[in-house]
Amino acid sequence: MDEKRLDEIISRYDYPSGRILGILRDIQVSEGYIEKDLLRLLAEKIEVPVSRLYGLVTFYSFFSLQPVGRHIITLCMGTPCHVKGARTILATLEDLLGIKGEEESGKYFATTADNQFTVVIARCFGACSMSPVIQIDGNLYGYVTPEKIPEILAGYGWHP
Amino acid sequence: MDTTGHTVTITINKNQYQAVEGEILLEVARREKIDIPHLCYESSLSPYGACRLCMVEVVTCGKTEMTTACTVRVHRGLEILTDTPDVIRHRKILLELYLAEAPHSDVIKAMAIRYGVTKTRFLKKIVTGDPLLGRCVLCGLCVRVCNEIMGAGAIGFVNRGPYTIVSTPFLEENPACMGCGTCAAVCPTHAIGIEDTGEKRIMRSWSGTPVEMIRCAGCGGYIGPKPVMEYARSRIDPVMAEELQELCPACRRKQVTR
Ligand code: SF4
Ligand code: FES
Ligand code: FES
Repeated sequence: MDEKRLDEIISRYDYPSGRILGILRDIQVSEGYIEKDLLRLLAEKIEVPVSRLYGLVTFYSFFSLQPVGRHIITLCMGTPCHVKGARTILATLEDLLGIKGEEESGKYFATTADNQFTVVIARCFGACSMSPVIQIDGNLYGYVTPEKIPEILAGYGWHP
Repeated sequence: MDTTGHTVTITINKNQYQAVEGEILLEVARREKIDIPHLCYESSLSPYGACRLCMVEVVTCGKTEMTTACTVRVHRGLEILTDTPDVIRHRKILLELYLAEAPHSDVIKAMAIRYGVTKTRFLKKIVTGDPLLGRCVLCGLCVRVCNEIMGAGAIGFVNRGPYTIVSTPFLEENPACMGCGTCAAVCPTHAIGIEDTGEKRIMRSWSGTPVEMIRCAGCGGYIGPKPVMEYARSRIDPVMAEELQELCPACRRKQVTR
């Protein structure tokens, strides 16, 4: 993201409440992740310590500090989804996509070698009645079973 | 203490004490030598109530309610109990939790022993290469003084839940740190490591951030971090800043008495 685009995003938020999160959100949505230098530049521009922004970015699972693949698969690991087999779903995803993520600092993150898919974990989408739930690029899939996953992934260009 | 307030009488553990209306209860207790354990209170900062250790019971109309002594402001007729079975039980559990959170902290261990707590049922944090030496209880004091008093904002909370730590952004050296050491001075568990090597001060706990030191204009000894000096200069009257000499206390004394 260039500086002009960052300025444009900042200019969308001129009221103090929710400003920082709003800006960070827009960057995340537009870039798929928040680059280190961009975070530093933002801190300087809005006169907020980098430590504060870094704290927010590492707090919410919504933000990523690493570049992500073309499609983002978010797997819910909230308690209901966990109970309904989210671990198995994750294992299946790792298997099919050939990835092995690490749950480092409480955040799971893994991207396929061809940069097509990134798998991350979230805690509860609020769709527990359909658990286990995954989300791909904003589309929600409920009652997921390992058997259904290949078909779902195929819709995003995956093939065995 | 707010000296304009009225003096009121409050009751702590059935004894009466005088205090100034609006004063923080924990301050009154400290003054009267009534022991209330606490970790996150600092009089120069606004009430925060993070560590929950200073829990006491407030009695209103015969009913009691638990609350943190560091956030209560005293008023006429306030009645407090500091050592009820409920309060003690609460403290014991908290101390167990802190033993798990900061397994290497002698301060926590000593506090716990006073309540007969020597073991914890909770999973102890595994500490390897922790820049805060397995002593941090995440009270937030260092973060708050750095932000609110020094205005540097060099450190902050990172991550969430059981993974939360205090550190610099990206866990890298942070030029925003002035090396003032206020964080280490307020840390209740002495978790923050600072090393003075002569020309540099190394903030061990803050990703090893190096800070340049200045020498005394008189004897040439190292007297303090350069950024702190610059910060002080920028905050005072320019004329005074002009006259301000970089002297160590000994040389300053010599100069004054000359
Ligand atoms: S380092 Fe010390 S002051 Fe900072 S949060 Fe941890 S215990 Fe509190
Ligand atoms: S726990 Fe998965 S949607 Fe609520
Ligand atoms: S001192 Fe009151 S909550 Fe920490």
